[in-house]
Amino acid sequence: MKILIPVDGSVNAVRAVEYGIAYAAALKVAPEIFLINVQWKIATGNVKLFINQETINEYYREQGAAALAQARVKMDEAGIAYTFHISVGTPAEAIVLYAQEHKIELIMMSAHGEASLATLLLGSVAGKVVQLAKTPVLLVK
Amino acid sequence: MIEMLSAPQFWVDVFKIILIDLLLSGDNAVVIALACRNLPEAQRRKGILYGVGGAIGLRIVLTFFAVSLLALPYLKLVGAFLLIWIGIKLLLPDDEHAEGNIKAETQLWGAIKTIIVADFVMSLDNVLGVAAVANGNVWLLVFGLLISIPMIAWSSQLVLKLIDRFPIIIFGGGALLGYVAGEMLVTEALFKPLVEAQHALHWLIPLSCAVLVVVLGKWLAARKLATAKVLDLVDEQVAAHSHDKSN
Repeated sequence: MKILIPVDGSVNAVRAVEYGIAYAAALKVAPEIFLINVQWKIATGNVKLFINQETINEYYREQGAAALAQARVKMDEAGIAYTFHISVGTPAEAIVLYAQEHKIELIMMSAHGEASLATLLLGSVAGKVVQLAKTPVLLVK
Repeated sequence: MIEMLSAPQFWVDVFKIILIDLLLSGDNAVVIALACRNLPEAQRRKGILYGVGGAIGLRIVLTFFAVSLLALPYLKLVGAFLLIWIGIKLLLPDDEHAEGNIKAETQLWGAIKTIIVADFVMSLDNVLGVAAVANGNVWLLVFGLLISIPMIAWSSQLVLKLIDRFPIIIFGGGALLGYVAGEMLVTEALFKPLVEAQHALHWLIPLSCAVLVVVLGKWLAARKLATAKVLDLVDEQVAAHSHDKSN
């Protein structure tokens, strides 16, 4: 079974990873676990006129690595094999696209990610993933 | 001042300015954050501070420059067409520029120069939009400037999230820029006799400009090939029971 766990560096996302680890332990055959973090594509056309692509990618990589760090520690502690990935784009769409490309069978994520005023007003990534995904989505409360 | 605050038109203009500032300021914040990345740690804060300061100063100068330019005959005509173009460009999908040969700045002054030059180029649309809405009202101009400043230094993620959640906002922005362009045309001295004679033109022209921007923008956007919207940056595997943190 292939399980995708999107993380955004929040406490709730780490809880989803912990849940995933426990869930994996309960399965007869150890699942393949994929971690993904999506960075908003903040550097549009105009920005590229002034900042080179390498600097922009380095920024995404650094932010993505920071968001994944805690989740990776949990996985390492549990001693489970996993794949981690950083995408740049619109979070929900990138998550669903990755799930399709890697034939993911279950997406497991926190119902609420980064709690901010913006999320409160704009709705969560989880809601949009549920709407777009073709696979079952497990929301960790 | 007080009478102005109780006039509904004033608040409509304030709303227009906020929307224009919001939609046209995002890039600047990103350049400021990224331009200083390659500086030595100790100089980063300095770079950001001087860069933001310079960008604000530049924007004040540009705004008042734009206002005095728009007072000249015929230039409102030019400004209106520029605004229509800016509105259409807002509706088009992001251009994937060929990778230029830009070198990363590792010197403090180099980074500050990048921020200021970028702000000059990228704030022109914003300044023109605000100047058009303000139509000579100094209070509105100052307000537009004050609103745009936190947005220069702010993360543009909020704008992206907003557009993701409410895609209509981008069409609203395009239509608004078209409308404002139309209002500018109406106030152009050249057309004064015509507009005075046909009073309906006061709202008919702005409305047609708004429709023009949205229709043309949508049509051009549909013609553009949809580029890959997701970029895969890192894809790595970690073996079981490996406590190696090197990657």
